[in-house]
Amino acid sequence: MKSLTLILLALLSSGCTTVVIDEYRRSTGELAMGDSVVILGRRHSSEYETEPDLIDCVGKSLHNPEAGINIIPENQFVDALYPWFEPRTAPMHIKSLDKLMDIPEVRDRMATYGVKYIVWIDGSTETTSSAGSIGCSIGTAGAGCFGFGTWDKESDYEASVWDFRDQELSGKISADAQGTSYMPAIVVPIPLIARVQNNACKGMAAQLQEFLLPPQSASR
Amino acid sequence: MNCLPYGIKAIGKCAALALAALVAACSHTVRVDGQFPQPIGDKHPLTVGVYLSDDFRQFTYSENRDDRDEWNINTGRAQKNLFETVLSSMFKETVNINQYPSNLPTGVDLVIVPEVRELQFTMPRETRVNIFEVWIKYDMHAYDSQGDAVAEWVITAYGKTPTAFLKSQEAALAQAINVALRDAGATLYTGFERVPELQAFLANKQRALTLQQTEPDEVPPQ
Repeated sequence: MKSLTLILLALLSSGCTTVVIDEYRRSTGELAMGDSVVILGRRHSSEYETEPDLIDCVGKSLHNPEAGINIIPENQFVDALYPWFEPRTAPMHIKSLDKLMDIPEVRDRMATYGVKYIVWIDGSTETTSSAGSIGCSIGTAGAGCFGFGTWDKESDYEASVWDFRDQELSGKISADAQGTSYMPAIVVPIPLIARVQNNACKGMAAQLQEFLLPPQSASR
Repeated sequence: MNCLPYGIKAIGKCAALALAALVAACSHTVRVDGQFPQPIGDKHPLTVGVYLSDDFRQFTYSENRDDRDEWNINTGRAQKNLFETVLSSMFKETVNINQYPSNLPTGVDLVIVPEVRELQFTMPRETRVNIFEVWIKYDMHAYDSQGDAVAEWVITAYGKTPTAFLKSQEAALAQAINVALRDAGATLYTGFERVPELQAFLANKQRALTLQQTEPDEVPPQ
């Protein structure tokens, strides 16, 4: 029983992660009733892809209509404005929005959604190094694994907040996270996973919430 | 299955079955059935016939190289959905044509005929980049109502998807192909006007329409 508790405790624990959040703010958040925020991932690079699940995680963590933050899901928004927010056609600079707004259907749809802010997240999470080895064997007496494995992951994301109505860059938030996961195996492998991407998501979402809501509404 | 007690013929059948199982183990079949959103934007003032040949509607890319497993990738249905959806949003009116160039309906300004020129893909283990990548190249042809060529242009599309954790290679590749097809749709929609010959064709049509609209006002008073 004692050993089972120990194993459960080990399973519940996780590797350590450090997250550093930086912020550059040009204006304060001005979300009013009925305003919406769109969070989109940059996918123009051929070397990496901003993970859709990170965008989903930030969106879900931020979405809180009672506090005044209404997030439009990425897929819904990109489909509704097809083909203007595809990797090849999406505006790379805030000045390019002007040209997009010349199309009446795009303007109408943005107005219907009540888009106030567009948040572009660019970056990815990568495994930077790994070491160790685990061997598993099976025999007449039973099966088991022995060994030790470890790997490091790094997240590097930058969120650019565009004020869609005022057509200006409101600010930038960057999240750098790193963590080491361990997997000792004594008969059974015990994963101690550092949730690097998830912690970067939570850190970024918390900072974005502070950023988007004016001080008096944040206390609601 | 024990084949030995049943004679030479049975052994032959067993060997054939075993071989078939071995080949099937190394062959992959992907069928892409994408649905695509309706593009939003201004429509060109043209009535366009869209001819999607049987080859295009049932397009299957087959590859069987020594350094790769056998792949059969069917994109026919998805690309039919894509071109029908995108082209119907691009023009005032579209007509699906079952036969070309015969039986062309009247009132059609332009006939668009797409063809697949090339499809390529890479797997994560080949590039050592943690993504599945797909490239598709389409040859686009536009003909006028007399069947004369108006323009020919190329659409290149690219799609990628991160290595899908706990997803099969086939599912991940299908996802990358859907991304590439969306990209093809975006390029078709936004690039149509940039083809010089089509730009001129549109300008002529626009001029003719403007003349038609102004003509009644120019009738001198009696």
